[in-house]
Amino acid sequence: MNLDGSAVLHGSPEAVWAALTDPAVLARTIPGCLALERVGEDSYRMDVSVGVGAVKGTYAGEVHLTDQERPKSYVMHASGAGAPGQVRATVTIELAPDGDGTVLTYSADAVVGGPVAGVGQRMITGVAKRLAAQFFTAVDAELAGAGAAPVEPRPSAAAVSSTDVEAPAAPQPQVFTGRAGVPAGTSDLRTLALGAAGGSLLTLIGVLVGYRLGSRRNQ
Amino acid sequence: MTTKLFGEPVRRREDARLITGRGRYLDDIGAGALAAAFVRSPHAHARIVDVDVDAALDVEGLVAIYTYEDLTGPLAEPLPVLIPHPQLTAPRTGYPLANGEVNHVGEPVVMVVATDRYVAEDAAERIAVTYEELPAVVGVDAAREARACVHEEIPDNVAARHHQETGDVEPALAVSPHTLSFTQYVERSAGMPLEGKGVHARWDADDRSLRVHTSTQASTSVRAAIAAKLQLSLDQVEVVAPDVGGGFGVKIVHPWPEELLVPMAAIALGREVKWTEDRREHFISSAHERQQRQEVSVGFDDDGRITALDVHVWHDHGAYTPYGIIVPIITATQLVGPYVIPVYRVVVESVYTNTVIVTPYRGAGRPQGCFAMERTMDRIADALGLDRAVVRERNLIQPSQFPYDHHLTFQDGRPVVYDSGDYPALLEKLKALVGWDGIDALRDDAEARGKLLGVGMALYVEGTGPGPYEGGHVQVLGSGKVLVSTGLTTQGQGHETSFAQIVSSELGVPIADVEVTTGDTRRFPYAVGTFASRAAVMSGNAIALAARGVRDKALRIAADVLEADPGDLEIADGVVQVKGTPGASIPLRTVAVLSNPLRYAFDEAAKQATQFAVQASNDQPPVTPGDAPGLEHRDYYSPIRSTFASGAHAAIVEIDPQTWEIDVVNYAVVHDCGNVVNPMIVEGQVHGGVAQGVGGALYERMAYDADGQLQNASFMDFLMPYASEVPDIVIDHQQTPSPLNPLGIKGAGEAGVIPGSAALASAIEDAVGRRITSMPISPTELYDLMRSETAERTAASGRRTGVGA
Repeated sequence: MNLDGSAVLHGSPEAVWAALTDPAVLARTIPGCLALERVGEDSYRMDVSVGVGAVKGTYAGEVHLTDQERPKSYVMHASGAGAPGQVRATVTIELAPDGDGTVLTYSADAVVGGPVAGVGQRMITGVAKRLAAQFFTAVDAELAGAGAAPVEPRPSAAAVSSTDVEAPAAPQPQVFTGRAGVPAGTSDLRTLALGAAGGSLLTLIGVLVGYRLGSRRNQ
Repeated sequence: MTTKLFGEPVRRREDARLITGRGRYLDDIGAGALAAAFVRSPHAHARIVDVDVDAALDVEGLVAIYTYEDLTGPLAEPLPVLIPHPQLTAPRTGYPLANGEVNHVGEPVVMVVATDRYVAEDAAERIAVTYEELPAVVGVDAAREARACVHEEIPDNVAARHHQETGDVEPALAVSPHTLSFTQYVERSAGMPLEGKGVHARWDADDRSLRVHTSTQASTSVRAAIAAKLQLSLDQVEVVAPDVGGGFGVKIVHPWPEELLVPMAAIALGREVKWTEDRREHFISSAHERQQRQEVSVGFDDDGRITALDVHVWHDHGAYTPYGIIVPIITATQLVGPYVIPVYRVVVESVYTNTVIVTPYRGAGRPQGCFAMERTMDRIADALGLDRAVVRERNLIQPSQFPYDHHLTFQDGRPVVYDSGDYPALLEKLKALVGWDGIDALRDDAEARGKLLGVGMALYVEGTGPGPYEGGHVQVLGSGKVLVSTGLTTQGQGHETSFAQIVSSELGVPIADVEVTTGDTRRFPYAVGTFASRAAVMSGNAIALAARGVRDKALRIAADVLEADPGDLEIADGVVQVKGTPGASIPLRTVAVLSNPLRYAFDEAAKQATQFAVQASNDQPPVTPGDAPGLEHRDYYSPIRSTFASGAHAAIVEIDPQTWEIDVVNYAVVHDCGNVVNPMIVEGQVHGGVAQGVGGALYERMAYDADGQLQNASFMDFLMPYASEVPDIVIDHQQTPSPLNPLGIKGAGEAGVIPGSAALASAIEDAVGRRITSMPISPTELYDLMRSETAERTAASGRRTGVGA
């Protein structure tokens, strides 16, 4: 399954890069993100809830970033699983300046398995496109400074002593709570509604992506 | 006393169940299944630009959305051309879901699956499909003119030119004492089963097996198609036709897109999925029939005997040709009816239109052929001033001429050779039944009441029971119960009764002990299907042969026990006995027990067959070489060619010259389907056929506008006759047994519908004195015809007026 797309964001490539690799921002902007945990250098574990149709469910997944050429491009490797199925994806993200803003283009190659694989390409594509649009809207709001107040990272049970949120290479896991995981009062309604409804690894992919089932026929 | 039920009017055993709500139709199955609904094309001809599902995603309960892109392997290929033919030079079939282009309103584009049908339809409604419209070809004349084409690569819209001839027709016409040429039309209608199509599929992921229930006329072939299209092994797929609420031909087509897509979704989702067709879907996405333009040239002598017949038909087959050119072939070959046609040429051009596909509907091209031939007879009579019955009588094939070879090739690829019949006797019976010779008195009586009265008749010959084969299995259980199965399906014909009558008669068992199963591939995997009036002929004979096999084995086993010669035994009321020796007997159920040598006893009956209970020769194995355990037999019937039934209908109509309402006051049928298994069931079939014939003649049509929109796609607007419109029918029987099959029977399912339009057009024409060249005809159309300056007056009306003046 392949999916390509683009988004225009209000910020320099450097600012966009910073936002997209900031776990606190990601936790706030990924639709349906319940929690995002840093587990190593450029590696995160996350729980996402997706609430659309048969894709509905909570997915646990991992994301790892490679091939980083700040602020131009990086590759995201994502995988995850939940009751509705499993997803594995490789997403190439490129940032290019465009006036005062940045054009982000993404190209995803995803493999979907389990029951969710049976719901039809348009369905998955539709969910992914919608989640991607929500994600980029939220990221753009962050860039415009209109994002919600930063959510303080919450130490994980395994790292109660660590409070150093800013440490880029924090050796211990840190947990960032997504909007879907915080009380409704602090959350933007639309995202909350979506998060409450469900989310997924799909989100993740959807997120950076929105994709099309690479037609099985072509394999 | 033997149990001879063959030929008796046994009450239908299935009716108590069916009419008290205990039928099990498709929608009664799978209460917890997910439901499918379809987004169908609103355009007759268009390219699909985009499918946007975004708005549907918010519908709570949505499970899946499928488009063409989700189809893989053979499923992504066009649907099969079921019956290829060398003259079908440009066949086209659709895809299960449209692949970029739609060719009729109603073509499926997107399938939605949801927790129930309401949710599925809500979601389907929110899916936005963007189309780029293309010019639509609607109606047989538009297809013929070909200003636009349905399929880009077929600019003349012609899929097939079917051509048969028995001699050099043009010189024969040239030397004929008289000739006539005329053009006429038959409109579209459809079978309209009260139960539409429906499919339920259940995938068992643990043993990787698929069970599909579908409201079909061909479960074995649906099974093969599903296995092929979904790339499953045949043994992984079972297909069952549950109770089916009418078929009339539309359900012989397969695989319908839904028959593939519903199982596909069931496998993909690991859930039961069901789709039940609604009435609008049935109108716009199932199948229609009948529309033809017919150009007829006939040569005849001074006595009205035909010398040559040249027919050119344009047949509207809709957007695709899944069923090949079967309907054109049947029109071409059955047109000749019961008549000697010395030189005959027929060309049927089968053309594409942007309308629903055309596949056989009860009668399957025969009503149109009958309309062409019988209206020709009426015109000859009118031209010569002869009685219409006399002209027909002079042209009939005589009883001494059987077997009669028309030198044509039928729909089964076999020659059109009539096996038996007595057409002059049919005609005599019909005249007596309708009071043909006393019609003038009725006409005068009606005139005195201010009504116009007319009478018309039409004769037909119907090829029935085509091969290639059907099979039957009969098994006697230790309980005495007799299980009968055959692969073809049932959709209201009373097979549970008529097949049980055959087994009861052949085997000598009470009918109450006989249980019949049809259309279940788990019980009988080899079959062709229920169409072309073939179930009684094909499965009836196969089941009879299977019952005879069981009887032979039972007599052999009983002869051992009774120490008698098998030839001295008979079976009656489920008991095998030595003829003329009371007391020397053994119940058939005991024979069934003994037929299966046992080691383990599981009940009292089984004890009789265990190894220490049976007195057997120590020199012989318990199961004789070449024999098999169990009292059962499987057999097949494969005919050399079709058997030809025949009949004659006459109708008397009264027309109100104020409203031009057409009232059918008398409808007479003489029917010959060879030996009759159950006359009550045959009469029921005739009644149903006549009802559809009357509907097709006076009420039903598919009202397409020029854009290909079907404007009467509901029972509010499509006029099916009610009991109030169906005339009382008087029936007389004639039986000329078929020499081709063991039971001597011919098919009866479609006969009643065939001559309806021809007989009623003849009667209306007789009443009003204006030429009827197009059917059906409504009161409005008749009114317009009567007011038209250009409407042709019949010579008979002129003569009658002259005589009266």
